[in-house]
Amino acid sequence: MGHKALPILRIIDHGPDTKSFVLPAPFPTSLPGQFVFAWLPGLGEKPFSISEQHGDEIELTVKALGPFSRAMMALEPGDKLGLRGPYGSAFEVPGPAVLLGGGIGIAPIRFLARQLERQGRSVPILLGARSKDEHVFVSDFERLGARFATDDGSLGHHGFVTDLLRDLPMTSDTTLCACGPEVMLVGVRGVAAELELPMQLSMERYMKCGLGICGQCCMDGSGVRCCVEGPVLDDALLDGVTELGQTHRDGTGRR
Amino acid sequence: MASPSLATTIAGVALERPFVLASGILGVSASSMTFAVDRGAGAVTTKSVAWEPRRGHANPVVAPFEHGLLNAVGLSGPGAVFMAGEIEAFRARSDAPIIGSVFGADPEEFARVTAELVKAKPHMIEVNVSCPNVSSEFGVPFSADPVATAEITRAVVEAAGGIPVATKLSFHCPSLGVMARACEEAGASALTAINTIGPGIVIEPGFRKPVLTNTIGGVSGPAILPLAVKAVWDIRRACGLPIIGTGGVETLDGALQILMAGATAVGVGTGLWRRGAGLLDDLNTELEAWLEHEGCTSITEIIGVAHD
Repeated sequence: MGHKALPILRIIDHGPDTKSFVLPAPFPTSLPGQFVFAWLPGLGEKPFSISEQHGDEIELTVKALGPFSRAMMALEPGDKLGLRGPYGSAFEVPGPAVLLGGGIGIAPIRFLARQLERQGRSVPILLGARSKDEHVFVSDFERLGARFATDDGSLGHHGFVTDLLRDLPMTSDTTLCACGPEVMLVGVRGVAAELELPMQLSMERYMKCGLGICGQCCMDGSGVRCCVEGPVLDDALLDGVTELGQTHRDGTGRR
Repeated sequence: MASPSLATTIAGVALERPFVLASGILGVSASSMTFAVDRGAGAVTTKSVAWEPRRGHANPVVAPFEHGLLNAVGLSGPGAVFMAGEIEAFRARSDAPIIGSVFGADPEEFARVTAELVKAKPHMIEVNVSCPNVSSEFGVPFSADPVATAEITRAVVEAAGGIPVATKLSFHCPSLGVMARACEEAGASALTAINTIGPGIVIEPGFRKPVLTNTIGGVSGPAILPLAVKAVWDIRRACGLPIIGTGGVETLDGALQILMAGATAVGVGTGLWRRGAGLLDDLNTELEAWLEHEGCTSITEIIGVAHD
C-alpha cells in the first residue's frame, strides 16, 4: 500500500544514461502498462512504467532525463529504492496486435512483449529511437523478432517507427499498442485512424499522487486521470481527450 | 412512490445530490471537475488558490497508510487568474454548483483572490484557513484562532459581492462552537468542516526516513471520520449555519453519520482513492435506497436527527 524501501538486486547498464534496475517485487503481480512511483529520500519521487515483472522480481528501465533519474544512475546493487504501486491501466491484447515503442517508451512494451512470449504468442514489435545507442535490450528484442528504426539510420529503418507499420500484414482487429514520445503517439493515432485499427496508447503526464485524487494528471476534455484510467488509453478514452499532442499542465496546474 | 429526493440546499445554493467534491481533490481544471460531476458529485470545489501560482511541495506529497492517507501537496495551484478561467470553463460545461476555494498569506490576499474568482461567478467561495501543510511557510493555520479566522472571513465576504462564503474549519482549535459563531458573526453563510487532521508523520522503516518531502502531512481517510462527525456535531449545536461535513466519508454509513450529526451536504475526497471514482455514484444510489427503506421522502429528514 505505502512506500517500501527495496534493495536493488541487479543493474543492467544500457549505455548512455540508461539503466535497468531489478528489485524484489513489493506486490505479487502487475500488468504491462502499469507503473510504480520510485522514491529516493531527499531526491524526490517519480513515476516509471514497469519494464518487466516475472516471479518475485520487478524491473524498471530508466533514462536520465531530470535530476531524479540522473541520481538513479549513481545507484549500485544493494542500494535501496522506495517503490509504491502498481498503479494505472494496462495493455489488453486478446487478439492480434502490433507493439510500438519509441525511446525510453519501450519500457512497458518490453513487459508486454515478454508477457505475450510467456503466453506462447508472437506479435510484430516495432521499436524506434534517435540512434542505435539509444536502443535498449536489442538482442532480447531481436530474439522476439522486433524491427528497429532510428532517426539517424544507425540501426534498422532510417526514419519513423510508424513507417514500418505500412509493411505489416494487419487485419481490422489488429490493435496498435504504443508507448513513446507524444509526437510518436500522435503519429500512431494518425495511422490507426487511417487504417481503421483499434489502438491503446500509453500516455505520460506530470503526476503527484498516483492515487486518482489530486487531479494533476487529469486530461482536458473528459478529464480522465492518467494515473487511473491511464496511462494506457484505448480508443474510447482517447476520443474524450482533447489535449493530445498539446502542451501539458505543469506542477501548478497551468498550461 | 417517487424515489426519495437527494436534493439539498447550502446557503441558497441548490444541489441535486448531496456529495461535494472536497477542495484539493480533482479540482485542478474544468475537465477534472466535470469528471467528478459526470460520476455523481452534486457540487465541486476547486483546489485552493493563492494570488500567485504555486508549485507546492516536492514529491512524495502523499503517504498512504493502513487507515487513510497523509498528504502535503502544499497548496499547489495555478493562481487566481488562471483558476478563474477554469471556473468559467466549468460553468460553460456544467450546471452543477462550483465552489471556489481561496487561500492567502493575509486577509488582503484572501480578499484579492476572492475578488478575482468571483469574476467567473462561482456559486460559493470557500475560505481555506485550515491547511495544515504549509506551516513552515505561513505559521500556525489561521483556523486555530477565532479572531484571525473571523477577520479573514469578513474580508472574503466583503470581496465576494453577495456570493455566499463558507469558511473551512480545522478540528484543531480550542472550541469549534466558538469558531463557528465567530464565522457566523463575520458574515459566513456556511461552514465546511473539517480539513485534514494533524499533521502527522509516516516513517518508512527501510529507509529510516519520513516518507513526505515535507516530513509532515494532513491525515485524511476513514481514520478521521469520528472526528469529522464530532466537529459537525459541535458546530450544529453552536450555530445555525449550513455545514458541508467533510472527513473520512467513503461509505453510506459514514455519509449517514455526517448527515445525522447535522451536515447539509457531505464532502468526499480521499474515499475516491480507496473506493475509486465510482464512489460518488455508489453513495447516491445507496443513500437513495436507504432513505426509501426508512420511509423518508427527502434527505432533509435525516439532517441533524442524531441531536433529537
